[in-house]
Amino acid sequence: MKWLLKVIDAVRPNFEEGGKLRLLNPVFEALEHVFFAPGTTTLEAPHVRDPIDLKRFMSMAIISVVPTVLAAFYFFGLRFVAMIIVSYAAGLTVEALFAIVRKEGINEGFFVTGILFPLILPPSMPLWMVALGVAFGVFIGKELFGGTGRNVFNPALVGRCFLSLAYPKTMAKSWVEPSDYLAGALTDWVGPSLDAVSGATPLALAKQGEMGAVSHLFLGSVPGSAGETSAVLILLGGVFLLFTRVASWRTVVSILGSFIVLTGALVAGGAVSYPMAGVFGPVMWHVFAGGLLFGVFFMATDPVTSPTTNAGKWLYGIVIGSTTVLIRNFTGYVEGVTFAILLGNIVAPIFDEIVIGIRIRRLRSEG
Amino acid sequence: MSETSAWVIFIAAIFTNNILLTNFLGMCSFIACSGQIKTSLGLGTAVIFVMIMTTMINYVVYHFVLVPLSLIHLQFIVFIAVIAAFVQLVEMFVERFSPKLYFALGIFLPLITVNCAILGASLFMIIRNYSFIQSVGFGLGAGIGWAVAIVLLAGLRQKMTYSHVPKPFQGVAIAMIVTGVLAMAFMGFAGMVAIQ
Repeated sequence: MKWLLKVIDAVRPNFEEGGKLRLLNPVFEALEHVFFAPGTTTLEAPHVRDPIDLKRFMSMAIISVVPTVLAAFYFFGLRFVAMIIVSYAAGLTVEALFAIVRKEGINEGFFVTGILFPLILPPSMPLWMVALGVAFGVFIGKELFGGTGRNVFNPALVGRCFLSLAYPKTMAKSWVEPSDYLAGALTDWVGPSLDAVSGATPLALAKQGEMGAVSHLFLGSVPGSAGETSAVLILLGGVFLLFTRVASWRTVVSILGSFIVLTGALVAGGAVSYPMAGVFGPVMWHVFAGGLLFGVFFMATDPVTSPTTNAGKWLYGIVIGSTTVLIRNFTGYVEGVTFAILLGNIVAPIFDEIVIGIRIRRLRSEG
Repeated sequence: MSETSAWVIFIAAIFTNNILLTNFLGMCSFIACSGQIKTSLGLGTAVIFVMIMTTMINYVVYHFVLVPLSLIHLQFIVFIAVIAAFVQLVEMFVERFSPKLYFALGIFLPLITVNCAILGASLFMIIRNYSFIQSVGFGLGAGIGWAVAIVLLAGLRQKMTYSHVPKPFQGVAIAMIVTGVLAMAFMGFAGMVAIQ
């Protein structure tokens, strides 16, 4: 590593005060800190965003999606790697521009958004759309509000929502059957340009009255967004997040609880009918199908965009869970987790306000 | 006359055909009065009340006065006159019972008169050929939808006091962008229930 240190030291003066490339200092620092810890220590908090230790939160979140990333790579091949690279490159460009203008460092928050974004896209999405979506999400969803910790919407979801409204046909065409070889698709490039079998997602098939086995959904050998197919690996990462307390169990329990109760009620009441018999079967099928689990563990629990009060988190979860059920069963969309969590983000501040208002009133009446 | 039930029209007017987030009517007071949840709640309630009452009155005026006298071409003026008269009443009422809200809303309370969402609701009612019951459902739903949207925006804007919005985007600009994202999220309900 010594040679790298020498290279970095050699170009450093260019980026410091008075250097030619002074403006690009945040980019240089971000690259440098990937390899080496900074030699200086901060004397005062330069841009504290939140009382929680941001870096620790972010690294836990990244560790927890590793199984899902590997699964996406296994099922959908090299193309997924390209999607990650594009997502990081496009998002970091926007991030770096803002950092340069604001004269702040590049924030770690993006590393989570950049990996989550390709995971919630169909695996053969055109790469320029991946870039457009992540740039839109980071710009509109995050940087305009001041960057990590100050955003009101989940940036990855804003990007996906934008893509699914702007290019619905491409989105619908971009689902592919996952590889069914034992070796996976590790060396394959599945994409629209080659002979990919475009597959309908389990939820789309269910609308036509065809329901696959739950075990396939559980393991992940079904078409779907790159990271959402394998329920078992999402659960693995999700339990890790709950265990490290990065994700709030209240949010998770209330979303899944309201989702299960409402779906069960609809099936039992005969409002929706599925080819699967009984009540328990269709409910479990719905829990494992589509992006619900991924959204619950990695999107809805985002501490910045979910309510801060505990009671608020329960309400927030109920809104997300029930909206997902409504959208899945009664609208033209087959999957509603993106919209539901975005709506959850929108109502989150109101819930906080209500909960805090009640608490203040109670304190006042107690004197 | 369309045959959708009033209940469906009511739900649709709140979610799928939200008068603010899909038709973008009534934006001026929506942007201007959404700084605080309390104020927006007050304005939202006033709009719900005015909207349901004026759609009812306008329905009666249109079908029992304008149509028999074949004065349909006067509908705009008559509708606005009805709305203006009604808003005057509401204003007196609010001033008497909640002076605080009266001052918080300021000019925007009388300006409900020219809130395009209110006139829009009356006109939609005519264009879509609603019956009286349907009109009541639509007026109430549109009002509640408008109120929900402004309260949601107010909540987000209150949370955004902790944000660090770049100078050129502060104020109205970021509020418009947030409204756009809100409208995007509401698109998720598309197709749940349909009215024209």
